[in-house]
Amino acid sequence: MRYNRPGLDIASHALLIVGCALFFLPVWIAFSASTHEMGDLYSNVAPVWIGEAGLDNYRQLLADPVSSLGADVMTLLFNSMLMALGIAIGKIIISVLAAYAIVFFEFRFRKLCFWLIFITLMLPVEVRILPTFKVVADLNMLDSYAGLILPLIASATATFLLRQFYLTIPAELVEAARIDGAGPWRFLKDILLPLSKTNIAALFVIMFIYGWNQYLWPLLITTDADYLTIVVSLKRMLTTGDGLVPWQDVTATTLLAMGPPVLVILFMQRYFIKGLVDSEK
Amino acid sequence: MATLALKQLKKQYPNGYKALHGIDLAFGEGELIVIVGPSGCGKSTLLRTLAGLEDISEGDLEINGKRVNELEPAERDIAMVFQNYALYPHMSVFDNMAYGLKNRRTPKDEIQQRVSEAAELLGLTELLDRRPKQLSGGQRQRVAMGRAIVRKPQVFLFDEPLSNLDAKLRVQMRLEIRRLQKRLKVTSVYVTHDQTEAMTLADRLVVMNGGHVEQFGTPMALYDQPASQFVAGFIGSPAMNFLSATQAQTGLALPCGATIALQGEGLATGAELTLGIRPEHLQVLGAADALPAGAAELEARIELVEPLGADTLAYCRLQGQSEPLVVRLDGEHAVAEEQTLRLAILPARAHLFGADGKRLATREQATAAIE
Repeated sequence: MRYNRPGLDIASHALLIVGCALFFLPVWIAFSASTHEMGDLYSNVAPVWIGEAGLDNYRQLLADPVSSLGADVMTLLFNSMLMALGIAIGKIIISVLAAYAIVFFEFRFRKLCFWLIFITLMLPVEVRILPTFKVVADLNMLDSYAGLILPLIASATATFLLRQFYLTIPAELVEAARIDGAGPWRFLKDILLPLSKTNIAALFVIMFIYGWNQYLWPLLITTDADYLTIVVSLKRMLTTGDGLVPWQDVTATTLLAMGPPVLVILFMQRYFIKGLVDSEK
Repeated sequence: MATLALKQLKKQYPNGYKALHGIDLAFGEGELIVIVGPSGCGKSTLLRTLAGLEDISEGDLEINGKRVNELEPAERDIAMVFQNYALYPHMSVFDNMAYGLKNRRTPKDEIQQRVSEAAELLGLTELLDRRPKQLSGGQRQRVAMGRAIVRKPQVFLFDEPLSNLDAKLRVQMRLEIRRLQKRLKVTSVYVTHDQTEAMTLADRLVVMNGGHVEQFGTPMALYDQPASQFVAGFIGSPAMNFLSATQAQTGLALPCGATIALQGEGLATGAELTLGIRPEHLQVLGAADALPAGAAELEARIELVEPLGADTLAYCRLQGQSEPLVVRLDGEHAVAEEQTLRLAILPARAHLFGADGKRLATREQATAAIE
């Protein structure tokens, strides 16, 4: 919508700029804090400009194990990345197949299957965490990537969203493909997946961030520093007992933890916009 | 080219609804068969059972004498053109046409050759790289046909392929389909609800009603000798006029008081029946003209005039008749509303239908007997 009123343009831009500044301020303070020596942070008022340490804190964090964690931040980033990718990709594979079955195949109790999947929306990880922990422990998956990923990859949300999209695909398209000799797998690969590209891209972003931000589950099932994720480690860096909190390390790690989700959004944004402008259907 | 035979074909849906009640039909090689009927008559269901998209509940379907009931659509060697075209939106025109061939593991250069042949035939050569959404309705329609043609199937199935097009394009594509079918000589089954489309396209026509075949024959046979009142009312535009009539001693008595020298074969005097007369077969008489021998004379007041250019349709009110009587007049005929027309129904032009809607054999009364 566009109104031909110059005053409105200026006012709305001013509002947007103020909003952006407000959101950016904490990020900036975190960044400037991460470029100071620890001593600076405790002897002076909160810094607003880049300090003398520059990017030294970052270099050190990425290369050397952090004493309070027993792992370097590079490992943390790698673990988080693996977990988030595993969860996002796993969720997409499972929900694509589940939604495909529910929408396009006729079998007994199809409705029941859908509703069983659907009601799991009401049971988040936190509610079923003890039984899940027991299962994972019995399967010997504590302190492993499989243990981090597998319990989280079933997704009612993604199944539901894909089901809604699949329902909009005209029956004739399915029939045309049948007549063209495309079996179920080929229909999925050649027609359904290309058509749901943009939906899958959107789901990927949401699910990647969901996986990246997992806190409680990794905290419970990993004790080995080799499997520590970056989000869990942030909290751990703050618990120093009697010592001083190394704020320059905490803020630097925070900023590093924000990086991958931001990159995923920036990269996937292309597909969103393409999906909005250049609709396939 | 193939023959197609349907033997006592029945379709019942799991919810108990019977869509087809024993269809018996046989189509010859290279014929263009049109199945026509009102919505819900089972014509689309019939086509879909031919395609293999619906299971056959009972009876046999044979292509070239071979029973194909249990074969998957892809194994029946048929191709289908859908009403909404059902093109793959994310594929180019080329890929849309090539997809069926690729799935059949046709060699690449043969695919290339067949698609470009079909594209040439349909005037799509320039558009092969486009996506369906960049095409107009008529072009999409052509791509859908191209997708069917490249496969060189035994049978083409068309499911109301023109109903999403505007009127002018529909006429043009109708001709194009006809020409293409004559050229490729592929047995085709074409479903439509539009009787003009049905008449103009068909080698032979199947009229369906309520899951039954009402009549099967050439368009002109159906027009001249409709087997039932339903077919009579469905084929021909504007539709046939129906007048209630009573069998009398010397002919038929019409409610407006006129009589016609015609009787239903084997009916008792006083039996109720229906007389059908096509709008184009009502003869207009001048005030001084003598009534042709045996004809019924009607006085009809014009209520509404529809000039179509070549023809003019006059909707008339007839005494003792609730439905308006439609008369097709020459375009040059100057008629006005409120004017009264003197009309004649010739015995040779009238159709008689019994109380059950079936066509009755007629017996023309000797003209002398009336006079």
